[in-house]
Amino acid sequence: MLSGSCLCGGVRYQIDGALSGALNCHCSMCRKAHGAAFRSRAGVRATDFHWVQGEELVTWYETSPGTHRGFCRACGTKLLSRFDFDPSVYGLPLGALDDDPGVKPARHVFVAFKAPWFEITDTLPQHPELPR
Amino acid sequence: MIRGSCLCAEVRFEISGALTGSSHCHCAMCRKAHGAAFGTYAAANASDFHVISGADRITRYRSSPGVVRTFCSRCGSTLQWLRESKPDLVDVALGVIDGDPGVRPSSHIFVGSKAPWHEITDGLPQHATRPGAPQQN
Repeated sequence: MLSGSCLCGGVRYQIDGALSGALNCHCSMCRKAHGAAFRSRAGVRATDFHWVQGEELVTWYETSPGTHRGFCRACGTKLLSRFDFDPSVYGLPLGALDDDPGVKPARHVFVAFKAPWFEITDTLPQHPELPR
Repeated sequence: MIRGSCLCAEVRFEISGALTGSSHCHCAMCRKAHGAAFGTYAAANASDFHVISGADRITRYRSSPGVVRTFCSRCGSTLQWLRESKPDLVDVALGVIDGDPGVRPSSHIFVGSKAPWHEITDGLPQHATRPGAPQQN
């Protein structure tokens, strides 16, 4: 089981299953949403994800049609993404995890849109956009 | 002129001077706040930082004594890191800068707290906490 929480501790969640498809996304929307060089995320099955505390603090913003990004309204921590086109899976930003998920991002996507101030220096595969 | 905006674009700002002193911060609080591997900030003079729109959307959270982090209340974009003891400086989250901020991160700080799922592979100097802090054994 994995636990995660926001910076202020108001929101807590648990994940009972495995994470999948961890990657670093360099698209401009992820960069803006996180205010960071890139977003590190993994997939989690919706049935494995449970809010433990403070779900009412999660503010959802629809960043593109059908994609909703959730953050804590008290401290701003980016917590979860959900998708109208596939409610069975969530997108999990790794930064709010309290535990080592045991997986690491295995590739970079949308590198065509990466920040000009950040250089990718690791050897992970890089994709200009999202490979299908 | 350096410009920035949040994801929903309600908050827009301009920086009339240069950004300086940029670093990647791997502390647990930056990781949480951004929900990312690390935060990257650069400093602006507060007198150069101008909010153009959405000032009422800028939400403040005091993450430790004397430190305030801000984000957009509508879309959640992380915006600033502010020290109450240095009101003349604004540390800006580079991720919300539009275009090239004209500065490049020159170090990694608080690498002693970095995420276990992220590896630092560039050649920039790494500091366990802050530059110049005593090394801990």
